[in-house]
Amino acid sequence: MFIADIKKDFYEVVANQRVALLVAADIDGLCACKILQALFHCDQIQYTLVPVTGWQDLSTAFLEHKEQFRYFVLINCGANVDLLEMLQPDSDSIFFICDTHRPVDVVNVYNDTQIKLLIKEDDDLGVPTYDDIFRDEDEEEEGEGSGNESDEGSEPSGKRRRFDEGAIERRIERQRAKRQWEARRREILFDYEQYEYHGTSAAMMFFELAWVLTKDTKDMLWWSIIGLTDQWVHDKIPHMKYVSDIATVQRHVSRHNHRNEDEENSLSIDCMRISFEYDLRLALYHHWSLYESICNSYYTACSFKLWTLKGQKKLQEFLADMGLPLRQVKQKFKSMDVTIKENLRDVIEESSNKYGMKDIRIQTFGVHFGFKNSFLASDMVHAAAALLESTERDENDPTDNFIKALDSLSRSNLDRLLSGIDLAKKKLIAIQQTVASCICTNIILSQGPFLYCYLMEGTPDVKLFSKPLALTLLCKYLLKAFVQSTRNKRCKLLPLIMAAPKDVEKGTVIVVGIPPESETSDKKNFFGRAFEKAAESTSSRTLHDHFDTSIIELKSEDRSKFLDALITLLS
Amino acid sequence: MFCEKAIELIRELHRVSDGQLPAFNEDGLRQVLQEMEALYEQNQADVSEAKAAGRGDLIPSIKLRHCCLLRNQRCVVAYLYDRLLRIRALRWEYGSVLPANVRFHMSAEEVQWFGQYKKSLASFMRSIGGQEGLDVTQDMKPPKSLYIQVRCLKDHGEFEIDDGTVILLKKNSQHFLPRWKCEQLIRQGVLEHVMS
Repeated sequence: MFIADIKKDFYEVVANQRVALLVAADIDGLCACKILQALFHCDQIQYTLVPVTGWQDLSTAFLEHKEQFRYFVLINCGANVDLLEMLQPDSDSIFFICDTHRPVDVVNVYNDTQIKLLIKEDDDLGVPTYDDIFRDEDEEEEGEGSGNESDEGSEPSGKRRRFDEGAIERRIERQRAKRQWEARRREILFDYEQYEYHGTSAAMMFFELAWVLTKDTKDMLWWSIIGLTDQWVHDKIPHMKYVSDIATVQRHVSRHNHRNEDEENSLSIDCMRISFEYDLRLALYHHWSLYESICNSYYTACSFKLWTLKGQKKLQEFLADMGLPLRQVKQKFKSMDVTIKENLRDVIEESSNKYGMKDIRIQTFGVHFGFKNSFLASDMVHAAAALLESTERDENDPTDNFIKALDSLSRSNLDRLLSGIDLAKKKLIAIQQTVASCICTNIILSQGPFLYCYLMEGTPDVKLFSKPLALTLLCKYLLKAFVQSTRNKRCKLLPLIMAAPKDVEKGTVIVVGIPPESETSDKKNFFGRAFEKAAESTSSRTLHDHFDTSIIELKSEDRSKFLDALITLLS
Repeated sequence: MFCEKAIELIRELHRVSDGQLPAFNEDGLRQVLQEMEALYEQNQADVSEAKAAGRGDLIPSIKLRHCCLLRNQRCVVAYLYDRLLRIRALRWEYGSVLPANVRFHMSAEEVQWFGQYKKSLASFMRSIGGQEGLDVTQDMKPPKSLYIQVRCLKDHGEFEIDDGTVILLKKNSQHFLPRWKCEQLIRQGVLEHVMS
């Protein structure tokens, strides 16, 4: 069931209890976790935090902790499957789920006792009504049976046949109605569960909880901003939703910044200041050189088509048009000439309009603390995502990376954050190079209802792309680049499926599907169900372990028959 | 050369890593004391001879031996004092019962000194903090809050806290627990205090 009053029904319930936090491995979840941890510290609520990377992890963690905890808080996992059936908990375990995955499973919505959803009820859900899906079967049967008996008992045998016929007719009628109802139910459920998408950020939900408790701080506000920006960077929410959520956050930011405006009592430079920025859509450009950032941000790289010679020339033209000397542009942004930096955003916006990049600027937030440290929200998202999925060392325990990424979000762990930014730069360069090579070697094939690309094992940096977030980012950039470079009008509207080797010893690949690229897409992804059905029909050995149903693991040998099944399913 | 044995003693302490207590080098100490005795005897003889026979040329050698004696004394005293300091630190680290291998390395006098130190620390702790006294050895730094956030560095299995609840300590899980229960495990290296 949905929680109406988050303070009364969630926070005060767990106030004197011990809680287990099971957190999924994505940046929004990490931010939500940090906010909740800060609140728990404030109120001395004892908790245990366990990172989980998939359904199996979740089940294991639950089994290990179910003896010791009664209250479980699940962050960014658990809403889109029937949780009670999967975990088989005792009747006194209570789950609080704050998850952005939609559609929320109907059992989770209509369970009144054990599952409490920390989701706003009007959040674009479209849940089918109770009567359409559930029906109390027993009453019908009983009524029928007793009706028959009483009929048979009370009437003499002469009239018995007529009553029997009447009873039989009524039964047939009831059965037909039931079949109709069941067919309609299947249809409703199919429509409801067909598309997968994301709702409001979990970090924002917890920030609202903090606000209602009047325990919100700037740190928590910053984390909620990072959570929201993560949804935008990894393409989980449509643009309109992002803009409206930014407006919501902006109100909080202005409320917190109220003190700054008073000149006499202005805050010390070391205090944290969050400011609204209408900044350029160039990834990490404050911590890199402008030139590198333009080359490695997907928006500019795809608009200029930087994998072609013509594109490179266009870029040089663009820089010349703005009057930026190459020497300045290629050195670190922080050491660029101040006179150039002053009007940089406006100058770039003007020039980019001429080159067809209409929204080079995006509304976002930045944080400043101390003289040196200023970061944009998207910088932090890239850094934390790179740390979360780093493949730097061989013995990569995913929980180790989770802890590192979690640490990097605190202000006191600046060196972690800076190492994350370095990793993110390498990741972006790798993505750009892979995109360039894929487009140039034409390995994206149109399979009919979708586009398909397979990364061979020997591709450089292919280890980076065995992780879901990195692969999704690569998919998105590749699709945009493909749409820009292809002439085939029909192909521009197709979704993309990408496969990359995940584990060479076990011979598995990771497969990701993303919806087609369009200006106003609502980011609804139907590949989750499609993958399930295709795997069933070909009995391929798949592992649907990830919380996003559109990301699965598959044995390499079953790849071709899986694809064929998908093609027949979707055409 | 004179004073070399004394320097050996000092080097031994210096070689051992910070805080550990090596075995009490009774032999070494005895050798130093013997050397000191020998030097003293020689000096006595020379002094009486210098006084009686008026031999001024013995005075430099007397001075030399005297300096060696002082040097030996200084080294021996430094050795003994440093060991006492280490033993004192052990009380703060291990509590009032020392592990057997550490006790094996202490001489009888050091054990006695340790007992007296324990007593005086205990009476101090009893005198402060009201009725029941205050165990100062519990927290290394003044605690800022009742509960602290800890991160588990290795799998430790189940862990029970005061009110009976059991916590599963799995690698990389984070917990928010009462401070006094965690101190032990933090010292053992199973948990790590996380400041955010």
